[in-house]
Amino acid sequence: MSPPPLLLGAGLIFWGWQTGFLFVAVPLAVLIEAARALTWRLDLSSTDFHRVTDLCTLLIVVACVYLFSTTGTARTASGPRAMTLLFQWLPPLLFPLMASQAYSVAGKIPLTAFFWGLRRQAARDPSAEPVPVDLGYLYFALCVLSASAANQRTLAFYAGLCGLAGWALWSWRSRRFSPLWWAPLVVVAAVAGYGGHIVLHRLQQTLEQTAFDYIFSLVQRDVDPFRVTTAIGHLGNLKLSDRTVLRVEPGDGLAVPFLLREATYDVYNSSTWLASGAGFTAIQPDADGETWKFATGRGPGARVTVSAYLNRGRGVLALPGGAFELERLAVVSVRRNRLGAVKVEEGLGLITYTARFGPDGPLDGPPIDTDLRIPPQEAAVIGSIASALGLPGAAPAEAVNRVEKFFRQDFKYSLWKRERLRHGTALGEFLQTSRAGHCEYFASATVLLLRAAGVPARYAVGYSVQEWSRLERRWIVRARHGHSWALAYVDGAWRDVDTTPSIWADAERDEASIFEPLHDLWSWGGFLFSRWRWSEGESGVGEYAPWLLIPLVLLLVWRLYSRRHVRRGDGKPREGAAPPLHPGHDSEFYRIAGRLEAEGRGRRPTEPASAWIDRIQAPELRPIVALHYRYRFDPAGLDAAGRAALRDGAETWLRDHEDAVSAAGKPVTG
Amino acid sequence: MKRLLHRWFSSFSAFQYRLERRFTRAGALALSVLGAAAVIGLDTSRTVGYQVLTLVLALLVISAASSLVFLGRFAARRALPRFASVGVPLSYRVAIGNLTSRRQEGLVLLEELADPRPSFEEFITAREPGEERRNWFDRQVGYPRWAWLVSQKRGAVIPPRPLPPLAPEAETDVTVELTPLRRGHVRFTGLTIARPDPLGLMHALKTIRLPQALLVLPRRYPMARIQLGGYRKYQPGGVALASSVGDSEEFMALRDYRAGDPMRRIHWRSWAKVGRPVVREYQDEFFVRHALVLDTFAAADAHVVFEEAVSAAASIAVSVETQESLLDLMFVGPETYCFTAGRGVGNIDRLLEVLACVSACHDKPFRALHRAVIDRHDALSSCVCVLLAWDEPRQALVRDLEVLGTPIRVLVVGERAALAGLPPHVYRLEVGRIGEGLARL
Repeated sequence: MSPPPLLLGAGLIFWGWQTGFLFVAVPLAVLIEAARALTWRLDLSSTDFHRVTDLCTLLIVVACVYLFSTTGTARTASGPRAMTLLFQWLPPLLFPLMASQAYSVAGKIPLTAFFWGLRRQAARDPSAEPVPVDLGYLYFALCVLSASAANQRTLAFYAGLCGLAGWALWSWRSRRFSPLWWAPLVVVAAVAGYGGHIVLHRLQQTLEQTAFDYIFSLVQRDVDPFRVTTAIGHLGNLKLSDRTVLRVEPGDGLAVPFLLREATYDVYNSSTWLASGAGFTAIQPDADGETWKFATGRGPGARVTVSAYLNRGRGVLALPGGAFELERLAVVSVRRNRLGAVKVEEGLGLITYTARFGPDGPLDGPPIDTDLRIPPQEAAVIGSIASALGLPGAAPAEAVNRVEKFFRQDFKYSLWKRERLRHGTALGEFLQTSRAGHCEYFASATVLLLRAAGVPARYAVGYSVQEWSRLERRWIVRARHGHSWALAYVDGAWRDVDTTPSIWADAERDEASIFEPLHDLWSWGGFLFSRWRWSEGESGVGEYAPWLLIPLVLLLVWRLYSRRHVRRGDGKPREGAAPPLHPGHDSEFYRIAGRLEAEGRGRRPTEPASAWIDRIQAPELRPIVALHYRYRFDPAGLDAAGRAALRDGAETWLRDHEDAVSAAGKPVTG
Repeated sequence: MKRLLHRWFSSFSAFQYRLERRFTRAGALALSVLGAAAVIGLDTSRTVGYQVLTLVLALLVISAASSLVFLGRFAARRALPRFASVGVPLSYRVAIGNLTSRRQEGLVLLEELADPRPSFEEFITAREPGEERRNWFDRQVGYPRWAWLVSQKRGAVIPPRPLPPLAPEAETDVTVELTPLRRGHVRFTGLTIARPDPLGLMHALKTIRLPQALLVLPRRYPMARIQLGGYRKYQPGGVALASSVGDSEEFMALRDYRAGDPMRRIHWRSWAKVGRPVVREYQDEFFVRHALVLDTFAAADAHVVFEEAVSAAASIAVSVETQESLLDLMFVGPETYCFTAGRGVGNIDRLLEVLACVSACHDKPFRALHRAVIDRHDALSSCVCVLLAWDEPRQALVRDLEVLGTPIRVLVVGERAALAGLPPHVYRLEVGRIGEGLARL
């Protein structure tokens, strides 16, 4: 069943109105509705329909590539995703298919056009008739759904939607019931749908606020800014990954080893660091949508540019201590907490941002009581060592120096822990017995010793930038460069205190895989592709992609219409388009048959001609029928004499019959 | 895994069947839009597709609620023809009685056929025609095979039939069209009267139990009346009900004289005894008897070849002159069968009925058929063999019949490649071009 007049055009205009492509939608609507007024049609074969479908598929693929490669430039804080944009574009991309249906003699599209398997099957069995499909209502539904992708949150959209739905349903309604039944039901559905979508939207918002965030935080691989479980007390060797997680551009503000912090914690409890009161607050971007300031009125400061991947568009940024501004950060939202962690959301797959930083940044909130708290189970050990070092009462800067000196003297770096702890805590064992451990031991012990000295201290995690890649010509940060250190509040500012022996980087490099160079090459390739895909600069390939479409579309159009299949007709569908002429189609016997048909003595369907002439008692036609049979069915055909005999016999019969009819004034037999 | 797939497909088919019954075409489209809107409107802050979703959902819920009540009461009678033929559409009459005092309008008649879902054994043993050309996934999972089996087992296509207005407490005749898809019985279980809801999206259904069956005969191809060689053979015992045509006769019984009986057959002594003319009745013993041997030993993946062979056998059966001769149809099924037609013993329709129900034999060797044919060769004037291959056992049968002096025609049905290299006296019937092959006979 085809849509009623003007419904498709209305659907297209509705789509254009919602998506802002009215200038495209109006001509398309006129074109599709004009098919009802125009009488000529294109005589398209199945192969032509296949080509049109292929053209549409290719257009979608090209649009897909274009949108995915250029979304970076088009994206703003409120901009749609490439997939949503693609969906919005579907009506014009599929319009050739709809137009080919509207202007074709067949008026429907063979199902084989949509499935390669069916095409192969049809090729194997050309006699099988393909199932025809009317795309009218499907295309109409597509227009409405594509319009919904424009996300115009106005009452006009819903009103238009209800109007179009009512229009479409009118022709389908059951004639058993009066329209007075139908109309109230549609109104009830519209009202219920309106209430339903408001409830649905609120429900999702609520879910997003609670469960979704919670579940996501459980499964995400990024740093949890609220909690980190250290490997303190872990037995055996720590396995660290070679995966490149960050890339840092060389610049003036960078002196290696350079620490990039992801999160800070202030409460220690049984090998776990927690962030107390670390709820996030949103930051508003500047007018360009890509500059995010944590404080205003700061000087130029130093700069560092970092590239990082985001997991599903979300993540925690790695920032230098003292960061006060982020530039070129293309995300929808940035949020920070009082401990200096910065979370981003709705970003692209790869982000590259420049962080400006100074000696004291605004990110880290002022110290509070928890920054001086020592867990009771560690208090004894920490207290005794602090006393031995003379920390209580020492000036903060002096205390920091003594702690750094303490760890430099008798401690060594190790990723290996041999024995299970029999008594006490892992940190106590590290400080008193083994005096060997990895950065988490050093950082945690440093924080607690500084707190024992009365210096507010926090535990920071992040990365240490220290490896120069000759391949990439930039600093790369691997997962194994993940590091932890202490923050000490000295002279009114938070400063990094890294007491881990500097050989830690060498020790962890020794653990690297022998396939690391190959892995690096692959990773670099992936990075280059991602940078191109999420290109934000003017040099991106994406901006030239539309120009590639022009020759491609021209080529396809030429391919489609290179074969002539255009025939003008009266617009009425023909049985199987043009039936092939069968042998003997011009036999004069058909004139006799026509004549007898006109006299009411016609041949019944499927009745053999010989049986027919017996039935109507016209034995004089027998030799003519015999010749006709030979002419019609004999593969050898009829020779010239036989052909002449058929022609003459038929002419004679027609003449005699005419005379007999005239003489008798009525049809005669025999 | 296969069992799991079978269960899934079975559940899916049942679900699909219910969906097709319950939803009109508009309803099916609305359901598709609902699915698409659910995907697009998943994130309610990104698109307003969820508004489409809720509107369509509301429409469907209202339709479903309207479909809960259908107060119509109906009776039905179905007048099926005796036979149908594969691929030939036929019409039959259904009388629908409206048992209510209200005129019923806008209804649709849906025929209910027996559950077409194949059993697990059928699913794993059957091979869809052309399955070898399908991709690996389709072959392993087997959904195309499932769909084909369901369509084959359903046996016929019966489009929904919109009903004219049904007068109150009266019966209305409607004509329903049916296109048989395969030979054998098409089993009806009942019929359903569907009433679309006011929005035209869903149906309210009333099902009437009306079990019936229709026998679908094999497809037959037009061919010239086949001329089989051979001469009359002695038939021990004769043909019980054969007409009085024949040369050597054996006295069978006495009966009352009927006008036209020859004078020489009057049994004078009996006439004298009973007082009314009595004639002698004789049993023919010499007449022509042909055998149509059908090879049923088809491989599991040779469904199409077997069906074409049955069609060829049916075409031959109807083209043999049985006024003056007998035709034995011989094949092996669960056991060895021989059905005879001609000369009043049975007619060709009966043979076609048998051919409509013949199935492939997978548990016996070809030797069984060989033995059955050779056992009867004395009575056979000639033999037509419709074979599925030209291998050694089949060649041995033909050789033995030739040695025994039985005129024989051999037709081998198969794909084009399988028919290459056959000896010249063997007729080739290529799958898909059986009609052409038979026309050349």
